[in-house]
Amino acid sequence: MTISRRTLLASTAALAAVAVTSKFALAQSNDSGTIRVLMNGGDADLLTTNNAIARFNKKFPNYKVTVDMDPISTGWGDFVTKVLAQFASNSQYDIYGTAIETFQTFASRGVFEPIDDFVAANPNYSDFAPALFEDCKYQGKTYFVPTSWNNIMIHYNRDLFDKAKVGYPKAGWTWDDFRAAAKALTVKDASGNVTQWGYEVPNQNFFVQPWFFSNGTGVLSDDWSKSNMLDPKVAESLQFLHDIIHVDGSSPIPGNDTLDNQFLAGQVAMMSRGHWVIPNIKNAKLNTDVAIPPSKVNDYTVVGFGAVGIAKGSKNPAVEALLAELSGPELEMDVAKAGGAVPGSKAAASIPEFLAFPPSANLFYQTLPHTKAVPSPANFQEVEKIFIRYYTAMMADEVSIADGCKQADAELNDSFARLKASLKS
Amino acid sequence: MTVIAAPTSDLRSSQARAGYLFAFPALALYFVFVLAPVVVTVILSFAYYDPQLGSHWVGLDNFKRFFFDFRSKQIFWNTLRFTLFAVTGNVSVGLLLALALNRAMPGWLLYFFRLAFFLPVIIAAAFVSIVWGYFYQDNGIFNYYLRTLDLPAVHWLTSAANAMPSIVFMDVWKNTGFFMIIFIAALQGVPRTIMEAAIMDGTSPWRRFWRITLPWISPVVFFAIVYASIGALQVYESIYILTKGGPGDATRSMSINIVEEAFGSFQIGYGASVAVVMTLVILVITGVQLVISRRLVRY
Repeated sequence: MTISRRTLLASTAALAAVAVTSKFALAQSNDSGTIRVLMNGGDADLLTTNNAIARFNKKFPNYKVTVDMDPISTGWGDFVTKVLAQFASNSQYDIYGTAIETFQTFASRGVFEPIDDFVAANPNYSDFAPALFEDCKYQGKTYFVPTSWNNIMIHYNRDLFDKAKVGYPKAGWTWDDFRAAAKALTVKDASGNVTQWGYEVPNQNFFVQPWFFSNGTGVLSDDWSKSNMLDPKVAESLQFLHDIIHVDGSSPIPGNDTLDNQFLAGQVAMMSRGHWVIPNIKNAKLNTDVAIPPSKVNDYTVVGFGAVGIAKGSKNPAVEALLAELSGPELEMDVAKAGGAVPGSKAAASIPEFLAFPPSANLFYQTLPHTKAVPSPANFQEVEKIFIRYYTAMMADEVSIADGCKQADAELNDSFARLKASLKS
Repeated sequence: MTVIAAPTSDLRSSQARAGYLFAFPALALYFVFVLAPVVVTVILSFAYYDPQLGSHWVGLDNFKRFFFDFRSKQIFWNTLRFTLFAVTGNVSVGLLLALALNRAMPGWLLYFFRLAFFLPVIIAAAFVSIVWGYFYQDNGIFNYYLRTLDLPAVHWLTSAANAMPSIVFMDVWKNTGFFMIIFIAALQGVPRTIMEAAIMDGTSPWRRFWRITLPWISPVVFFAIVYASIGALQVYESIYILTKGGPGDATRSMSINIVEEAFGSFQIGYGASVAVVMTLVILVITGVQLVISRRLVRY
């Protein structure tokens, strides 16, 4: 029998195709079903989620995965309310993307599955900082897998520093150094009106936390069970920020809007933000860098992070496989490339794309051991609102710092009393 | 005397059935989307509601919390003073604009002015608030012009003294055009014969306004005041977008408080109790306005 060259090539190709297909068939599951996922963020987050789903569907081709995105435009409080309403009406998603601010609220209500066995069985997570997983626990059980995080650093405009002949921040710089720099970087016109602010005193709970942590204190007790507003160090931190505004005139009074746009326009020299502003800074082609927030008694800053978890009653091998993809090494690489946050995986945070900008990008991961999680008790939604209400009033000089701390303390403790009563019932 | 009951004709009963059938969709919508939520809100106001941790009756505790909370007084006062100033501003400026435009002028100019003043009404309050938020920033356009005139910059939204007037000013800019249109329609209904007679008698324009125009349009003015009051008492988005109720509680309205407590802090029972109180306040204020109107509304 004569075999033509064409037949030989065709047969070889067919055999190769069969071999490849059967190899995939071995790795594929025949199970079928639908998995509903609710993630948060914008287009970049949707893209990384869809990439993860595409990888999942290679292993589980008969599963249909639907994704909804919540932009969290009105804060985590509204997100919690929405999610709890979904559970109450039995219309919950199978997998949720959420953040540390919500962990205790959800876990205390038992609406998420404990996933200690899943985490222990997944070797990818050995590369994650253990501190992140510690914060995913409630009463000793793990409920979430961290995917990305943000710690608050001081972003500063190097061109404005150069222009004012102020030296760049160095490791170990102090509150006094910071205050002197902010003052020197504040520019006024002939009429005395400020045209460039040295610093933006933050207007959000997350951004302002380093000013308490670096003073060895916090708004809440270390176990997040009661107010710590009467600690004189809290008042000292608030007074420091207040004086930057009202004594030095180096910052505007924190209002409703953040000054990101003014920073990008070169009208603000320093601001406290996480890694999420880096893509915008790159787009604006600003010559900026990051520094560890200045220290008073230590150099601690705050960390907050996103995570994924499985809704109560939805745990099965397919959902676990999708959860693994939504927190797997490929997704971590996507997060590192997008630059909207620091990836949970150290390997992903070490890739050149991630470290290319800003010059001190390595500080983001390097400072992780010197971070404390944003205080997120089960009544976080109330706590944040109470604190920020008094904080803005104190910064606007509408209430004295002593009175503001006292009143905030009373309200925070009332909230904790209500929380304890509801958890008991 | 024998009383004979009138027999129900087939035609009448089938007409009644048809009537009920036609009314059913509207009634069903009313029950589902208006009456049921009201009833549920009242029920929730007496409860602690948390489907996961367990719900239970708390009697009047939610109301006690509202009435004894020192913040409630401030929030209540914010709502009232916003209502007072916004209603006064909207109705009076709307009336002044209507009087200014209710005169002979070229058609195109008349339509131009009417459109110019009415245009803000058709723009969503959220968009208007975002744009005005930029105007009001410390380095916004208002402070830019103040600086140009060598005047000190003003903390429009970050000072408790200025924040509420700033919000009211924006509200009047946005809504007064609506009242202007209503008043123009009312002014065109004032009989020309009476007005001409008054002019011939030598009555001054000021006296004509107070003695003829205002009494004649008083039902419309009353409607405008009630309508503006109900809207102002429920003010939410403009304040939320401009100040989120701050600084501190300086501009927090009852509506914002309800949403924050019920949906932001998951205190649904407490939020419902504040909503019930707010509804009662609106009812009382509207009732008072009705009583006053009986004395003042002429026609």
